[in-house]
Amino acid sequence: MKQLSSEVYKELEGVLGPENVSQEPAVLDGYSWQPIFNITSEKWRPRPAAVVLPQTTEEVSEIVKLCNKHKVKFKPHSTGWAAWGSPSEEGELQIDLRRMNRIVELDEKNKFAVVEPYVCCGQLQAEAIKKGLTCHIIGAGPNTSALASATSGWGYGGTGTSTGYSGRNVLGVEWVLPNGDVLKLGSPGSDAGWFSGEGPGPGLRGIMRGFSGAHGSMGVFTKCAVKLFPYYGPKEPKVEGVLLDARAEVPKTEKLFYLMAPSYEKFADVCYKIGNAEVANWVCRGTMAAAIGLLVPRAAKTIYTSPAIRALLKSFQHQGNVLLSSESEREVAYQEKVLRKIVRETGCIVVDTSKLPNYGFFWWVFAVRSIPTALTFREGGDFLTSYGSPVEYDNAILQARDATEYKQKFIDEGVFFDDTSDIGWGGIYEGTANWGHCEMAAMFKRSDGRADDRSRYLEESAKSTEENALGLGLSNLPPGAWKIYGPKLYNYHLWQASLKKAFDPNSVGDEEFYVPSIDEIEEPQEA
Amino acid sequence: MGKKDELATIVGKERVLTDQAILEGFQSDSSLVSGEAPECVVQPRSLEDVQWLVRLANEKGWPLLPCSSSDGPRFGGDTVPKVAGAVIVDLSQMNSILRVDKRNKVAMVEPGVTFGELIREVDKEGLRVEMPMMPKKEKSVLASLLEREPTTAPKYNWDACDPMCCLELILGTGDMFRTGNAAGPGTLEEQWAAGQAQKVAMGPAQTDMGRIMQGAQGTMGIATWATIKLELKPELRKGFFVAADRPEGLMDFTYKLLWRKLPDVCLLLNNVDLAAIYGADPAGLPPWVLVYSISGLEHLPEERLRYLEEDVAEIAEAFQVEPMQYVAGLSADRLVDIITKPSGETYWKLGPTGGCQDLFFLTTLDQTPGFVEVLEAEAEAQGFSRDKLGTYIQPIRHGTGCHLEFNLMVDPRLPEEVEQVGALFESAAQKCMDKGGFFSRPYGSLADRVYEKCPDTVSALKKVKGILDPQGIMNPGKLCFS
Amino acid sequence: MSNLAALKKDMEACSRCSLCKWVPMAQLKSWRFAKMCPSVDRFNFHIYSGGGKMIAANSVLEGRSELNDAVADIVYNCQLCGACQVACQAYRDEIDLADVLLELRAKCVEEAYVVAEHLAMLDSMKKEDNTLGMKKQDRGDWAEGLDIPNVNTQEVQVLFHAGCQFSYDEELRDTARAWVTLLKNAGTDLGIAGKEEACCGGRAFEIGYQGEMKNFAEDMAGRVKASGAKLLLTPCSDCYYTFKYLYPKNGLDLCIPVLHTTEYTDQLIKKGRLQPKKSVPMRVTYHDPCHLGRRGEIYKGGWTGDDKLERPVRFKQTGSLGIFEPPRDIIRSVPGVDFVEMERIREWSWCCGAGGGVYEAFPEFAEWTAADRLQEAKDTGAEALVTACPWCERLFKDTLEQTGDDLKVLDVMDLLTLSLGGK
Repeated sequence: MKQLSSEVYKELEGVLGPENVSQEPAVLDGYSWQPIFNITSEKWRPRPAAVVLPQTTEEVSEIVKLCNKHKVKFKPHSTGWAAWGSPSEEGELQIDLRRMNRIVELDEKNKFAVVEPYVCCGQLQAEAIKKGLTCHIIGAGPNTSALASATSGWGYGGTGTSTGYSGRNVLGVEWVLPNGDVLKLGSPGSDAGWFSGEGPGPGLRGIMRGFSGAHGSMGVFTKCAVKLFPYYGPKEPKVEGVLLDARAEVPKTEKLFYLMAPSYEKFADVCYKIGNAEVANWVCRGTMAAAIGLLVPRAAKTIYTSPAIRALLKSFQHQGNVLLSSESEREVAYQEKVLRKIVRETGCIVVDTSKLPNYGFFWWVFAVRSIPTALTFREGGDFLTSYGSPVEYDNAILQARDATEYKQKFIDEGVFFDDTSDIGWGGIYEGTANWGHCEMAAMFKRSDGRADDRSRYLEESAKSTEENALGLGLSNLPPGAWKIYGPKLYNYHLWQASLKKAFDPNSVGDEEFYVPSIDEIEEPQEA
Repeated sequence: MGKKDELATIVGKERVLTDQAILEGFQSDSSLVSGEAPECVVQPRSLEDVQWLVRLANEKGWPLLPCSSSDGPRFGGDTVPKVAGAVIVDLSQMNSILRVDKRNKVAMVEPGVTFGELIREVDKEGLRVEMPMMPKKEKSVLASLLEREPTTAPKYNWDACDPMCCLELILGTGDMFRTGNAAGPGTLEEQWAAGQAQKVAMGPAQTDMGRIMQGAQGTMGIATWATIKLELKPELRKGFFVAADRPEGLMDFTYKLLWRKLPDVCLLLNNVDLAAIYGADPAGLPPWVLVYSISGLEHLPEERLRYLEEDVAEIAEAFQVEPMQYVAGLSADRLVDIITKPSGETYWKLGPTGGCQDLFFLTTLDQTPGFVEVLEAEAEAQGFSRDKLGTYIQPIRHGTGCHLEFNLMVDPRLPEEVEQVGALFESAAQKCMDKGGFFSRPYGSLADRVYEKCPDTVSALKKVKGILDPQGIMNPGKLCFS
Repeated sequence: MSNLAALKKDMEACSRCSLCKWVPMAQLKSWRFAKMCPSVDRFNFHIYSGGGKMIAANSVLEGRSELNDAVADIVYNCQLCGACQVACQAYRDEIDLADVLLELRAKCVEEAYVVAEHLAMLDSMKKEDNTLGMKKQDRGDWAEGLDIPNVNTQEVQVLFHAGCQFSYDEELRDTARAWVTLLKNAGTDLGIAGKEEACCGGRAFEIGYQGEMKNFAEDMAGRVKASGAKLLLTPCSDCYYTFKYLYPKNGLDLCIPVLHTTEYTDQLIKKGRLQPKKSVPMRVTYHDPCHLGRRGEIYKGGWTGDDKLERPVRFKQTGSLGIFEPPRDIIRSVPGVDFVEMERIREWSWCCGAGGGVYEAFPEFAEWTAADRLQEAKDTGAEALVTACPWCERLFKDTLEQTGDDLKVLDVMDLLTLSLGGK
């Protein structure tokens, strides 16, 4: 086990107090246990040399400067759920941002909130709801950090049509760069509040992230302003139960529909039209088979063995959810009329779930609070995701088709659990824009020793996205993927690597989920 | 071989301009900025031309200054060279609308395409352009996107870069790049065949070069096309005014409308700007108006309009305001129609007095009345007539922010007025800056002061500049790149 | 011998989602009261969370780290409140987090990583049959003058087990006196064991001395049998949990139904045998004791298998069958009471801070935890925090003495007493 020198350790204690620094092996293992997106047979990642718990931006800056001084690599995380939160090598410093957990500001009128790293989306939404607002919650669920997905992760969420994508909901940002300097992006940098993230002049959000973020490789984000969105549901929701037993009272102006199309193409068509009609708050692909797998995994194993039931489920394969939501009954009535008209005209069907018993469960657990994703672990204890590039929705649906066919091969080989090779989820984003995504989750049991096959699935599915122009998505960005895709996509990796060198001259930000400094890449720099 | 001869080997002699009048035209613009006359103007016609130009300029150390329109008034000072020997890269000859995708509601345009041209083309597909308020006739769509100009319907404006999607560009190094999902994988043709349309602005991977290009005033590279997201043309549209004596009286109602996502166009004007736009006398107009539109879309348009009107009426009653279709004889429908099109022959701001100095920055809607007071007080202190102080308040990004613009009308032929406006501009800008106005697009003389406030941003920008334009050939001296 | 190794698959199943730190997401109502795990909330390193302790256990089992004083400190700074189990099992079927935490305690004891205060408690249990360092001979004093039958000399229908805290705490014993008086007056044929009553032994199990509980269980079983009782009643939530969960989980059967006094009294009220009549105009809120609520859920034994992924979900100890409604129904039956709920209630209640040997060994941490709960109670505007566990009540009262706040702490019985004409 690699340790920090006692000198460095003492300096860290001097900054934070001894109770906020640890190099106890068991404590450190709390940070090296990272199963998610760790496509190996192990759940352990390299053990950090020490872990620190800063509480202020100044403390973060000091720690990072110490890392530069002593050439110690570091990796920060917010909630730390997934392998990119942990160091890639032994001897690094883990920065756990748990003590930075405030909602600094919630501006009701201007619809944004300023959060520190350890505010989870559930907390932010709970506070926003009181003011008729909500935040974007990513598919991974409300236990994730709002700041982390906005600054450093991806950002897909079921309500994307009304709450956008995390990386595009960012306003002002406070960023401790890998050299320890503090950079404020946008209006906070000019002492003008938090409402804007671009400028003065060029938008430096462009070096912070793109489709995905740097996952902790380019310094530490200590504050982020995120957009909030109108929420028309009850300000004090009445919810009983914990999760699978949840029941909620739902106002008449929240109407959730199941949408079913007869084909991939028709599913895309109907979603485009719904997007254009500006009637829905949630438009997302999600199938019966997926719901069964999530909610009753043991029963699913039996259900899926019946060819007749499989055929039945497959006939509902092109299924999604549509939520209509308004403060006004008049508006919802119109929205419903239009939805039914569109559905009729495209040869699809809708089911009004608001008439079903336990409607409140789907409304609250799925539509509002985006809770269920962690249920994907129920089947086998592990899952991965793939495809899911941000594209025009027609192309996303092509990915759904490709993924469904492709994953089936691996199900047949026993690499993944049988879930009828259903497309997990993905919908349209940003109102009328009709861009979207479809990602394919796959469940498995890590102890089956098939880690290599799972890597093969990701590599081959990524190749398929390349061969069929299916965008650069979740399959294409595991560590080192830049070596394959960078040269094919205008050497994006070299630009990133130059930024890495410029902002992290001592290469102390763990680069595993980003790219190394340009000095460490041995290839021609010509485009 | 001189500069112009070398350039001619790339683009041809006829597209290297050295006429003195043309060159002097770039030495200053309609703002208060003046600089150096360029050495020549070069008019590339293709991506390859541009790439050759940039590579040559790198080799030779020649300052390049891209601009998208060859004529028409310019206001930002960004196309005025700060150094001698500059080569203006006039992209106006690259003026094709490369593609209009009806299903995905996106168009791909070269730099020389104006809003008028694009509107005419997309109209055939039942689409409309979400655009800034009444740009000048010659305004380049691509230039507007790169400038992050605010558009009039906050509901469709999700992020700062909207409605820009992807870019094709030559970076200051001479390298080509495409942003967003235009980057691939796959050629453009392969992407189109797979249903893509270069509409997603993010990436590729972990940077957004597009954001860096926006607001850069040509200091990072040259864009050779951009995709712009479009919207459906509404079947029906109705405009409304809500009048008030002070902007404070319109805030809460506007916030509520934005929260409900009811209006498309949604902006505030004072009587001076309203008069200038409409062609009316400011004296007879209410001091302030909120202007908004509601639309009937493809499905059940009349029903949509009806419920929207009823809902707005209820909200208006709760906030004790009165939406009207006419005010002082002006038609809201007509106004909405005017402001959602480019200006006519005369740019609207130049109509009243022949000249205009814009002072604009970002803030939040609720802070705008405070800034209005600042300008009014400053104008009064400097003897600047209120009749020439136009104000335009544009909520952006769903209303999370607000573009606040003061149009200081001036007769450019009168040196005392020019001087007065200059002084007012400087002092008012400083006061607004001190009060927390965020000058996200610092043109001309403001840049130095703006960047003094954010040394961390300057340091970062210089690093980025050092990567994308290491030789410093792209519009040198602009922004914080002295 | 600890069974920690047998739970390795549970530990390995952890995805590190950190849901064990939070109120279940469906119930999260505010930023302030979003946290559910006192340990990680206080000490912050991930290892202090439920999931974190499972990682620690796995790390030790795999030889990646050693059990030492630092690790033991992490293990013992935990009230074993069960919140993490509720949050985790909302999603996961194959992780018995609470079991891992209990086995981790046993492992610490096995390897002699023990806490002095726990040793003292255990000593007191062995020598004097109570956890509090008091004399056994004084155990029955709480019932002096009440004329309650002693089961050592006569058989009864209902055996009333007061528990150590109610027996010895001079301030709280009035509540126990009120319980037996109330029930006796309602016609219940109940008796007590007086000074022959002994600790249930549950605390011994929780602090890692699993084998010791067996002795107390056998003693308890004998007493129950000798009493002839058909029902075992207790006002102590810890004892309730021990009887309903720990005993059956460890193959110890009292062969008698067990009810908490709130359950029984609630039935009396609903049957009309008790009628709270006097108005008590007071705004109150209710604290769900961990050991009556989520940990008070009956042990769901009966499944034998290797792979918990195959275990039917009805065997999951989700906490949902804990006792939540009876105390609330009693409160609601008192005229004039304005009952308001806190945010963290029922299975997702915030622990008072006393359990798992924490109050004895780490009083500062216990009071820190209690202070958070008291703040939550005050935020409802309540004048009184009502609960149904003497350990919660003791800690809340002690903490209020430190803070000087004027919030009252009442047992459910105390509220009933006010409505039945008492003080």
